[in-house]
Amino acid sequence: MNAPLPKRIWQWFTRTRIGRSIFRIGLPESNLERSQVMVSSFLLHMQPAKVHRHSLRASYSLGLGLISLYLFLILIGTGVLLMFYYVPSTEKAYDIMKDLQYVVSAGLVIRNMHRWAAHLMVLFVLLHMCRVFYTGAYKRPREFNWVIGVGLFLLTLGLSFTGYLLPWDQLAFWAITVGTNIAGYAPVIGLKLKYLMLGGNVVGQEALTRFYALHVIVLPTVALLMLAVHLWRVRKDGGLSRPDEPGDIVQQIQLKQLPTNKTYGLMELARGTTPQVGKNPEDEVFAWPHLVFRELLLFLLVTAMVLFLAIFWNAPLEELANPIHPPNPAKAPWYFLGLQELVSYSAFWGGVVVPGLLVTALVLLPYIDRQRKGVGHWFARERVVANTIFSVCLVIAVVLTIIGTSFRGPNWGWVEPWKNAPAVTEGH
Amino acid sequence: MNDSSLRKFYGWFTVLGLLVGVLVVVGYYRDEYREWKDYQRKFIQEEIRRASTPQQRALAEQTPVQIRQIVLHDLNRVDRCATCHLTVDDPSYGGYPQPLAYHPLHEQHPFERFGCTVCHRGQGRATTTIDAHGNVPHWDSPMLPLQYIQASCGQCHEASDNPAAPELARGQQVFEESGCRGCHKLGGTGGVLGPELDKVGARRSSEWLKKHFVAPASVTPGSAMPPQKFSATNLEAIILFMLSQTGESAPGYYASMKVIPSRNEGQRLFQQKGCIGCHSVGDKGGKVGPALDDVGLRRTPEWMIQHFRDPQSVTPGTVMPRFGFTETEARGLTDFLLHMRDQKIALSLPSLMVPVERGREVYRKYGCAGCHGAEAKGGVPNPNSKTAEQVPGLIHVADGYTKDELKARIVKGQREIPALDAKRPAPPLYMPGWGSVIKQAELDDLLAYLISLKPKGEDVGF
Repeated sequence: MNAPLPKRIWQWFTRTRIGRSIFRIGLPESNLERSQVMVSSFLLHMQPAKVHRHSLRASYSLGLGLISLYLFLILIGTGVLLMFYYVPSTEKAYDIMKDLQYVVSAGLVIRNMHRWAAHLMVLFVLLHMCRVFYTGAYKRPREFNWVIGVGLFLLTLGLSFTGYLLPWDQLAFWAITVGTNIAGYAPVIGLKLKYLMLGGNVVGQEALTRFYALHVIVLPTVALLMLAVHLWRVRKDGGLSRPDEPGDIVQQIQLKQLPTNKTYGLMELARGTTPQVGKNPEDEVFAWPHLVFRELLLFLLVTAMVLFLAIFWNAPLEELANPIHPPNPAKAPWYFLGLQELVSYSAFWGGVVVPGLLVTALVLLPYIDRQRKGVGHWFARERVVANTIFSVCLVIAVVLTIIGTSFRGPNWGWVEPWKNAPAVTEGH
Repeated sequence: MNDSSLRKFYGWFTVLGLLVGVLVVVGYYRDEYREWKDYQRKFIQEEIRRASTPQQRALAEQTPVQIRQIVLHDLNRVDRCATCHLTVDDPSYGGYPQPLAYHPLHEQHPFERFGCTVCHRGQGRATTTIDAHGNVPHWDSPMLPLQYIQASCGQCHEASDNPAAPELARGQQVFEESGCRGCHKLGGTGGVLGPELDKVGARRSSEWLKKHFVAPASVTPGSAMPPQKFSATNLEAIILFMLSQTGESAPGYYASMKVIPSRNEGQRLFQQKGCIGCHSVGDKGGKVGPALDDVGLRRTPEWMIQHFRDPQSVTPGTVMPRFGFTETEARGLTDFLLHMRDQKIALSLPSLMVPVERGREVYRKYGCAGCHGAEAKGGVPNPNSKTAEQVPGLIHVADGYTKDELKARIVKGQREIPALDAKRPAPPLYMPGWGSVIKQAELDDLLAYLISLKPKGEDVGF
């Protein structure tokens, strides 16, 4: 046998008593074992034993959902390390940021990784959503998974926003002040909501405590649960979306059509779009190695990307939060700057109506757009109307965000970033 | 299918695995390399070079390379300066270039109680030269230039209390005599035209202050403050005094240090509050209360402090009023009285008994000179005001006003200053109302002073 040495060691180990008890199958050699390994391992059983070739096509999914997932895992890992040092106290938080930078081994790079992965996650979740839209992947039977996805997107924003406050510097303090003020514009409940978030009327120790609890326990737990459902549904809905094929049986067995006075085995209840039903075997390949290896490679790529950013660019840290010295202009986190730009025209329309309508439209989308054509193709011709509407909204959001980020100076006045910003004078 | 399709994965695993591996190594190296370690290694080499016995040499070789810090819980500071400045407490390094230099004169402010940044400022937690010295974005407190270091004494000590900080005392003197208080509040006393100065030293750099004094409008567009014509030494002194006003409160241990000794403050209070009206020192003064020459022999410090807080509590039935002294003031007065005997104090008794002289003091205290000039002679520019584009002097007020008119003028102030040319911007300086600030008795003294200014031999009502 001329297999490489690491492989031979691995094979020897998985044949020992201990190795066998841990891994059951070892490195699969036959197709039977390739199926078994996916079913018998906890980590792998979340994925099917065989996967459709279409799902592996990088040009279709771009791996965006998986990248978001990996960023989330990196955030959990680095986040836990940061928790070993962090204290959610207005007296200590900022000093701890400094200590992370100057005396904690790898403290700076871990904080950088956490910060950049957080920004990237917002970006990639958004891109993932765009991909799903442009390929029509939210259509039956995946309608509700899209809704869960919208929920995960909002959770991502919530996680990033709550984390933004924790360093307790000027950037954090005023971004959260601006952000929560936007929430305060909502009619009737706005001010109550703001009070509930901050534990007071202004950002202070109570707000920091609440944001910390939300950031490290509440939101990650909810996100993990929803993520599990999201992934489970992907699997139950037959893997990634793809164009209908002649051999596919697209029919739903309605449970109520079955006699109700008898007990059923699992297979009898399996619904029409599960991977086992009606699929052409030639289109499928074993998940080990084709899917699993690709996933591992992508994980390495994402890790390399985050490490690269974290090593060469430091996460921002401004002066200690100072409630009596607002920067001019005070800006929300970048993903809310489009919103802040809208709010600068009208607090009610920009801060409440537009984002409210947008979220409602996103949630209802799969129930409004029910036509089952063009699924599984990027920018399908049959979906030109939907794609155009979505693109216009997207471009407006991006343009507003860019304006809010780069073209707004003191007093939210117009500045051109390539010119020198006018000196901010502090009035007597 | 199997082996060939697997093989293409191996290539990718190798490339990406190596990429991650290289990044981890680079990250580790950048994290592990810290410039302070270089400084410490050089220090250890120097110690080895200086070692004269094998034992010393062995000791030097065993010196660990590690962060050295002073943790000051009360001051909420962690000073890691000693991580590079390893020899601040070793006189044998006197004259060495930085970072290995000796810091003299630290007996009264031991490093382990005070650290470094409380005087020198900078960023104590930082461990790189640039960040620690603090001239970096997003750090408000860069190192204080050594020429202004006495400003730090003023964070805790009364300017007049500290013989080791003559520049500070000089700065305070310039501040009071130039009438800055006419427009600016400091420690609760002063006008309202300009901003309060209680924390100015924490917000402004020496460069900013210098520009500000020479040409206020150049750093604060639209500022009403007239340019100040200080001599070069006075300019440096007042910059230093401004830098000392950081508004930082000294907690616990440090606060108790702050008020001892504050004999000068005690003397100032003793004169200002008119103690001599009832008590006598060296046969001068009133007979209502006991003479105070030997009070230090008769009373304990605790008794005196309590006495200043509440006279009735230690001497029931006494006629001495409760002045409402602060803790600091009570301690200062006590210290002054305890040392009455050995300081041969020349109390300027006669002058303080005369209203005109007290009024001069009031004029000084509230910074009237800031606008109306030293000795009320005028000359401070107020562009576009009808009075020759200057704030008027006050020498002739006795001619134009009755006593009551003048009083009303000071109490109410004058918001609108008549303009020379209605098209140009209104004159920036105006007279604030002082009614709520200057006390009634002080006002009477001030009027006496102002009326006394009229040059002798001139006729009333020309």
